Amino acid sequence: MKTMIKATLGAAVLALALPAMAEVVVVVNPKAAESSMTKDQVAQFFLGKSSAMTPVDQPESAPIRAEFYKKVTDKDASQVKALWSKLVFTGKATMPKEAGDSAAVKKTVAADPKAIGYIEKSAVDASVKVIYTAQ
Amino acid sequence: MKKRIIATLLALPLAVSTAYAQDSSGVRISGFGTGALTWTNTDKAEFGRPNQATGAKKDLTTGVDSNLGLQADYSINSWLSVTGQGLVRKDAEDDFGAELSWAFAKAKINDELSVRAGRIGLPVFMISDYRNVGYANTFLRPPVELYSQVPFNSINGADVTWQHGFGDTTVTAQLAYGGIDSHLSGGNTVEVRQLSALNLVAEHGPLTLRFGRADGKMSMHTSASLNGLFTNLRAAGTGYKFAQLNQLAGDLELNKKKASFTSAGLGLDWNNIVVQTEYAKRKVDAYINDTSAWYAMAGYRFGKVLPFYIHSELKIDSVPTNTVPLACPAGYPAACTPTMAALRAGVNSLKNSGIGQGEQTTDSIGVRWDFYRSLALKAQIDRVRPQNGTGLFLAPQAGFKGPVTVGSVALDFVF
Repeated sequence: MKTMIKATLGAAVLALALPAMAEVVVVVNPKAAESSMTKDQVAQFFLGKSSAMTPVDQPESAPIRAEFYKKVTDKDASQVKALWSKLVFTGKATMPKEAGDSAAVKKTVAADPKAIGYIEKSAVDASVKVIYTAQ
Repeated sequence: MKKRIIATLLALPLAVSTAYAQDSSGVRISGFGTGALTWTNTDKAEFGRPNQATGAKKDLTTGVDSNLGLQADYSINSWLSVTGQGLVRKDAEDDFGAELSWAFAKAKINDELSVRAGRIGLPVFMISDYRNVGYANTFLRPPVELYSQVPFNSINGADVTWQHGFGDTTVTAQLAYGGIDSHLSGGNTVEVRQLSALNLVAEHGPLTLRFGRADGKMSMHTSASLNGLFTNLRAAGTGYKFAQLNQLAGDLELNKKKASFTSAGLGLDWNNIVVQTEYAKRKVDAYINDTSAWYAMAGYRFGKVLPFYIHSELKIDSVPTNTVPLACPAGYPAACTPTMAALRAGVNSLKNSGIGQGEQTTDSIGVRWDFYRSLALKAQIDRVRPQNGTGLFLAPQAGFKGPVTVGSVALDFVF
């Protein structure tokens, strides 16, 4: 009981400390075969470890980008950048294309059965399919 | 002249990028670079990266660790693309020169298999392809002890890359074949032919394991001092009827000689712990030393700041036996023994002259600070101990001995 109270208090403190963040969901084309993915499966596309799907990024300045990478790959923006620069400057891969915002990500994903992107949960509509919700 | 053309080629992607900035034609321009200052605590020898003609002394120098690379990627269609990368740095010649690091066409056969042809990176090290990209690395420069063992970066040829996921483990197998004429410091050219390179990488979460093996035939006929030594050995061998000297000249000479390079590496980026280590063994059937080298780097990430420590070693495993006699038998001309002494000294000096020849140990501490998006600031102090001679130092003067302290600060960027 005591521990539970402590945990609740701890969670409350964390909630206070963190600014309210929108929930991040990972989306694919409704025609894509996958209905769900694990965190690691999502991460491999955004870290250049698999080219089976085409990742679509949000702008570097967008807070959702930092949140997505922190939650899905456990890496911050500069670590991800360093990782990609290894792939780019060896000619193994090109940086993920950047879409302007969540609406642009949806548009790209809706048009490409191989595309995979991330948007705010509130932006989800029928044009895309949610396959992972970042915790 | 050649340089001017390459410089123009380097500028070209910029012009292209401006022209295409507004549409999605598929041309992607990216670049990397490092602005750095390097200095040491001695004026009696110079510290450089592998294959540089000159290095750093007590005065601050930009030449050792600074570079600029530009890359253009163009997708012709969904499966075919071309990539060109130019790099400006100080290498074998004593000024900043541009080189074409790679220029290849890549065909993606399916999601797991791709083929490249043209000038491609030679995958002999863990960080072969991005050793010049400071931003992609934790340390300020790849440890010279290990990276001096193969002084060329790219080959003209083709490779096949297969990438497959086994559960959460990604395995990448790459097989390359080709050759290169590589310019070395001192105005020399080494010809590498029938070069095959296998590169196996397994990645599992934060852990990366790598194994590599390269085999080829090497020749170098451009060194006046080496050619002179071989001519003198053969002349003495024939003149004094010491057949072993003719044999020795043939054994030492780099003339279509078998060379191999075997290497293994481990990388770990787990929570805030960063580890990278490599081991490599070089074998050449000529005067070039058979060597082994290794390094280990460990660091800990405190947010944006990553302090690290590196230990690095290069040692000689074996050199060809010096069969020049100490003295000539009784009854030989008086000039014979001094000639043998000179030849013997000449052969003995080979193990400490030239690129990647010599033995050396370095301990380094440094820090990487990711202070802004796409920018990293690094500082590193190396304590370099050349052993049994002058190590990998350039232009050593009489009385030079280690250890030497090397300092450097660098700003890495990518765009």
